[in-house]
Amino acid sequence: MTFLNSFQSEWLKTKRSLAFWMVVIGGFFTPSIIIVARLVRHAKVPELYSADNFWDQLWKNSWESMAIFFLPLGAILSTSLIAQIEYKNNTWKQLHTLPLSYTTIFFAKLAVIVVLMLQFFVLFNIGIYLSAIVPYLLISGTPYPSQPLPYDHFLRENLLYFVDTLPIVALQYLIALRFKNFLVPVGLGFVFWVGSLASLSWSFGYVIPYTYPMYNYLKAGVETKAAIPDVNIHVFALLYFVVITAVSYGLYLAKKEKG
Amino acid sequence: MMVVKFADICPIKSMPILKTHDLVHSFSNEEIVLNGISLNVEQSSIYGFLGPNGAGKTTTLRLVLGLLKVQQGSIEIFGEDFEKNRVKSLGRIGSMIESPSIYSHLTAEENLRVLQKIYQCSRGRIGEVLELVGLAHTRRKKAGEFSLGMKQRLSIAIALLNSPSLLILDEPTNGLDPNGIIEVRELLRNLNRESGITIVISSHLLSEIDKLVSHIGIINKGEMMFQGTLDELKEKQQQSLSVVFETSDSTKVREIAGRFGIVGVCENGRCTLPAIPKDKIAEINRELVSSGVDVFEVSIVKNDLERIFMDMVS
Repeated sequence: MTFLNSFQSEWLKTKRSLAFWMVVIGGFFTPSIIIVARLVRHAKVPELYSADNFWDQLWKNSWESMAIFFLPLGAILSTSLIAQIEYKNNTWKQLHTLPLSYTTIFFAKLAVIVVLMLQFFVLFNIGIYLSAIVPYLLISGTPYPSQPLPYDHFLRENLLYFVDTLPIVALQYLIALRFKNFLVPVGLGFVFWVGSLASLSWSFGYVIPYTYPMYNYLKAGVETKAAIPDVNIHVFALLYFVVITAVSYGLYLAKKEKG
Repeated sequence: MMVVKFADICPIKSMPILKTHDLVHSFSNEEIVLNGISLNVEQSSIYGFLGPNGAGKTTTLRLVLGLLKVQQGSIEIFGEDFEKNRVKSLGRIGSMIESPSIYSHLTAEENLRVLQKIYQCSRGRIGEVLELVGLAHTRRKKAGEFSLGMKQRLSIAIALLNSPSLLILDEPTNGLDPNGIIEVRELLRNLNRESGITIVISSHLLSEIDKLVSHIGIINKGEMMFQGTLDELKEKQQQSLSVVFETSDSTKVREIAGRFGIVGVCENGRCTLPAIPKDKIAEINRELVSSGVDVFEVSIVKNDLERIFMDMVS
């Protein structure tokens, strides 16, 4: 019950926050680009919609920029911004003088970030669906896609991408809790992301916890120089998430000054 | 309407509600910030925690609230060890440490709702505390648009939200205009009188709180210089009275005072003697006149509380 109260309290703090708007804008950004691109090249749209693999192609197009750029960077920024709410407003001391255990404070905040990520996935999926429907409604002569919507495949892929993002959330959360200066978690996150991009062609690139959403996208038969690992990256992602969260929790508890 | 005061139905006991034992704290190996601080705050008292900037007030209060790890010593709140009962104790404490802690992207009401979710008090309580601090008309305004004084008031509202038994306020009148300072003082006095809330209030100015507090602790360079009731401090004030004789012959004053066993300090025709009973003053005056010394003025110099405070911390 206390955890639920704490979660609700933490959720309220995201209202009108930059992290909240990032999730909303990030969720609809790529789909909006796709809609605009199809409206501009409207002559080719009817042919596109007649294809047998319409939904698979749309899924791939939507995730291309998302898996490589927006999802890792969005996770880096939104996680850092959530922790930054307390630093920016000088409210860690207020939070730590509430009748809450440190465990509740730590995990309620992490839960809010994870739920924000889930919210992002939901909005992004709505966006993908709209990016299919809007051109169909606006461009005359466009047939409704003949391929049935592959719900199972989409759900499974969503789950895998979500799991693959968790290590980024955990490591960014650890860094964001340690440093008051917002530039530190964001800067380090950016460095890790660039490092991940550079290591994609390395056969051990999968040891870097920021690579998993990229590998998940690239494994789907995309032409690339990346060395797709033989290991189950999703298990690695989950393990990293658990271990990094445990370390982060330990460091948070050991902190001598709590505001 | 008959107003029943808390003190009438619940007689004030001298039970310590907050006790610290020999707190020692340092931020680095070289610098000891607190050196054996033992606070003793009695139930239903208003405890003024005084000291100049950097004396260790905020560090002590941060330790008391668990914001800093205790390195040496112990803290007892509501008769229980604080470290072992942190969550339970914090449920009965309202606090405001240093600058206001407010979510600037949320409205005043939303700021309080963030805490109301934790305390699980009624939604109506939000309106009550905003009314108490005079912010009822700005409940839907974003806190980021507040002036420093309004932020300070909102912080006090936050501290009061859970109807605490112990209120810890670190320099709560910072940023308030003179009228605001008086209002906050009045509010705290009423809370103490009518609800029996124990209040610990820190300040670096005695004059700011001497009309409010019942007890005083004076800290300087991490050490307690004085702890007791306001009356005990006033007793010190009595002891620090002095009598000044302005005469035509200072040497004679010193000589006559010496006959009564009193040592005076003379300078530029003025002799300052320590506090002495009125009949002694009259006797010395008589002796001086009969010895042919012109007495121009006999005056009593009162050292005010501020002077005593300054003497202690300088």
